[in-house]
Amino acid sequence: MSRPAPVRSAPVRIRIGPDWQRRIAFLAAAGAIAVLPLIATDAYWRTNLIVCALNAMLALGLDFVLGYAGQLNLGQSAFYGLGAYASTLLITKAGIPFWIAFAGAVAFSGFAGVVLSLFAIRLRGHYLAIASLGFAVITYQILLNWISLTQGPLGIYAIAPPPPIALPGLPVINFDNLANLFYLVAGFAFLSYLLLDRLIRSPIGETLTAIREDEVSAASLGINCGAWKVFAFGVSSTVAGAAGCFYASFVGTLVPDAFFVTESFTILAMVVVGGMGTLIGPVGGAILLTVLPELLRNIGDLRLVVYGVAVTLVVLFVPGGIVEAVRLASARLPRIARRGKA
Amino acid sequence: MAVILQQAINGAVLGSLYVLVALGLTIIYGVLTQINFAHADIVTLGAFSAYFFVHGIGGGYIPGIGVAFVVGGILGFAMNAAVFAPLRERGNELLPLIATIGVSVTMENAMLAWFGPIPYAFDSPYSNDVIRFGGTFITVHNALIVSVSALTIGLLYAFMKRTFMGKALRAVSQDRETAALMGINPNQLIMVAFVVASALAGMAGAMLGPVLVLTPFAGTSVIVKAFAIVIIGGFGNFEGTILAALLVGLIESFTTQYLGPGMIDIVVFALLLVMLAIRPTGLIAEERDENV
Repeated sequence: MSRPAPVRSAPVRIRIGPDWQRRIAFLAAAGAIAVLPLIATDAYWRTNLIVCALNAMLALGLDFVLGYAGQLNLGQSAFYGLGAYASTLLITKAGIPFWIAFAGAVAFSGFAGVVLSLFAIRLRGHYLAIASLGFAVITYQILLNWISLTQGPLGIYAIAPPPPIALPGLPVINFDNLANLFYLVAGFAFLSYLLLDRLIRSPIGETLTAIREDEVSAASLGINCGAWKVFAFGVSSTVAGAAGCFYASFVGTLVPDAFFVTESFTILAMVVVGGMGTLIGPVGGAILLTVLPELLRNIGDLRLVVYGVAVTLVVLFVPGGIVEAVRLASARLPRIARRGKA
Repeated sequence: MAVILQQAINGAVLGSLYVLVALGLTIIYGVLTQINFAHADIVTLGAFSAYFFVHGIGGGYIPGIGVAFVVGGILGFAMNAAVFAPLRERGNELLPLIATIGVSVTMENAMLAWFGPIPYAFDSPYSNDVIRFGGTFITVHNALIVSVSALTIGLLYAFMKRTFMGKALRAVSQDRETAALMGINPNQLIMVAFVVASALAGMAGAMLGPVLVLTPFAGTSVIVKAFAIVIIGGFGNFEGTILAALLVGLIESFTTQYLGPGMIDIVVFALLLVMLAIRPTGLIAEERDENV
């Protein structure tokens, strides 16, 4: 008498296994963040590390609205720019302390995301893509032309880094040090990852995926699609706005060209190359597409071609991005290795 | 009064340029319900091919427009064969759009590496001759733009309404499955649509080269307006697109006159967002509501 396969044990294993694995992965990621600036000691690579962390935040934000809720938002560059300009102007013009300005700017870009999402409620697919593109164009032009406020193409210079944090009993943490600034930005990127991971593993994640897959069916199940789209856009633009605040205090200068529409395409490339609809994918895509062009710096202008070629090839051949490629490879490699031994 | 009339003429010239780009987008959207972001780079490459034909080989300007027309058509054929045809089977709505953004970024930066960021001086032999009437004037080049554009629209209309292929294209736009049941090969017609649309874009590039600044980004500044035009006019709708192109051209010239050139994109896209909010089907509504 052969016993049937133990069907019931499977879900239990799924529930415990990955959770335990995930905790280890989070610890490993935190360890990597702690160790990286110690390995990369020169200013050039530490700068690149900070750019990686900023791009990871932007890509995570876009992925939440594109990969999970299925809304193609080409306005991410606008939220990035609004966060950067709002925080800088609050600090330099209104004299507000950094962290309060940070909170204000993040709230402001979140609010802008909610405004754009009001269009997303009515529009779908291509119409939303163009509406969000229009939103990005308008924001860029306002930053460029409102010279009395933003100094237009001349830019804002000498933006101070975040103020030092003095915790009792510890040495003062200065953020004019690139390593400390990296810890700050990467810490926030990590925090965004954890928060988004929490959201996606809650019923909210399934709700958003349902809207992505079929809006009509989702609505027929009693899901308020409009409200959830507003939520997804709000979360996404909040994360992008936070990245913008750090960008301003990290680079020290602000010009509108940093937030041109092409920046949205760059962020989109990171999400697509990494793998839409996963959280680890966009982070990987952000790191790859930040580091790869730096390594290819000696080929000059052609390095930006890398972005375009990467996106096109990924969409055509591995639409799931790096995540899908790794999954396919890890499924095939042991088999090939076994065949090699035999 | 003369100023208003002059700006109206300038607006009509711009509108005649934009309409060629926007009609291409609308034709592709009609048969495929897809947006081609790389349409911008076909415009730019059309401009550059005409430039090198005129200033490199020493060809005439009018044949140069023909060269750009052919180059655009070839690029459209390649774009369809390489990107849209393989992705059509997957049935995902956003993937082709993202792929064309990838193609656009690739082409733009390849052109930047090749041609450099410094604007090219594309001289049309007709830019310096001026026709005057009353207090207003129009350069012969601009008059050429308006007449070529009007002629092209006329020919396109005749093609769509009179020829079998044009009728088949409209049939595919209305209902791809039924058209296929009637013995029309949709894949072939989608190819034709791409070639026609891209040839128009290449031709538009050759004509706007001497008007705008010719850099690798020339097409991008036009395409964002073309997107606005197709949405304001109603995607897939010819009459609406022509009307909206003239409207956007006029808005551009009057905004430059009264508010300054920096405000153009803000006004055009504000209009776009207002249109999307109150009348997403466009100026002339069609029975096409899957996106709104």
